Amino acid sequence: MANLNDFKTRLKIAKKKLKNSSENTDNNRNSSSMGSAFKLSTDLVAHVAVGTIIGFILDSWFDTKPWLIIIFFFLGSIAGILNVIKTAKQMQEKE
Amino acid sequence: MATNPMHQFQVYRIGPEIKIAGIDLSFTNASLFMLLSAAAICGLLFLGTKEKKIIPSKFQLISEMFYNFIAKMINDTAGSKAKPYFPFIFSLFMFVLFCNMLGMLPYSFTVTSHIIVTLLMAIFIFVAVTVIGFLKHGFGYLKLFVPSGVPAMLLPLITVIEIISYLSRPVSLSVRLFANMMAGHTMLKVFGGFVISLGVLGGWLPLSFSVALTGLEILVAFLQAYVFAILTCIYLNDALNLHH
Repeated sequence: MANLNDFKTRLKIAKKKLKNSSENTDNNRNSSSMGSAFKLSTDLVAHVAVGTIIGFILDSWFDTKPWLIIIFFFLGSIAGILNVIKTAKQMQEKE
Repeated sequence: MATNPMHQFQVYRIGPEIKIAGIDLSFTNASLFMLLSAAAICGLLFLGTKEKKIIPSKFQLISEMFYNFIAKMINDTAGSKAKPYFPFIFSLFMFVLFCNMLGMLPYSFTVTSHIIVTLLMAIFIFVAVTVIGFLKHGFGYLKLFVPSGVPAMLLPLITVIEIISYLSRPVSLSVRLFANMMAGHTMLKVFGGFVISLGVLGGWLPLSFSVALTGLEILVAFLQAYVFAILTCIYLNDALNLHH
């Protein structure tokens, strides 16, 4: 029985070691942070572009030429910035 | 300069011209490389799962690594509810990864450097996620656009912003992959052209840059496939577990 207990404690220690080493994989964290950098940079641009395109389409629908495109350009920029803030908050929570 | 750096992105026909109902369906170099990457994935996974050993062979090790990588990613980002979508995300990741990696070989063609390919995949994901969201939550899915805890004054503004943000998903997803692949490959070709034009005396500097950039491009090729897959998971998570 003593032998089994000994084995159990050794298993526990080994599992703990494994857990620690798998959590601290620097490589994994590096690639995912570079991934979020790519995500953030294109998200910002895409939001502005999509906002402007929506404004352009609505403008040609309602015949209000320059106004909606201007408004939606700014709305798109706000959406992009808010999105970056949201993602940054999520990244901080993870750490 | 002798070579045009954009020449590598040219799509040309291989074999006879096929036209069905006015639509050009000829076999092109793009189709060839899509087929090649699909064949490479099938080959790798077939070899990997042919013999199931306790001590795995190299192919089995690689296939198991990919499987674990994607399974863990789905579990971490979208939770256990996303398990049924594993095959889709796995094939998506493998396809993008293999297209990117095959594009790194000299004289090959990079399928993902064409926006039509990436945009089609992104739009498919966008439509699929929207349909899944409506199927799971009904019209409650529209709550995604109305975040809780916002003062009533700001609500219309926030809703418009959320809709813009939702619609920009396929754009950012496709443009990211396309732009990274195209920019990287163009840069490699430009530096390659410098090596030729500077000759034996001055060509060593751009050559060393070229070598470094090739390494960077391989990293980017993997990373873009990873980002593409993980964002699909995040969007799927929004559709499956609605909490805003």
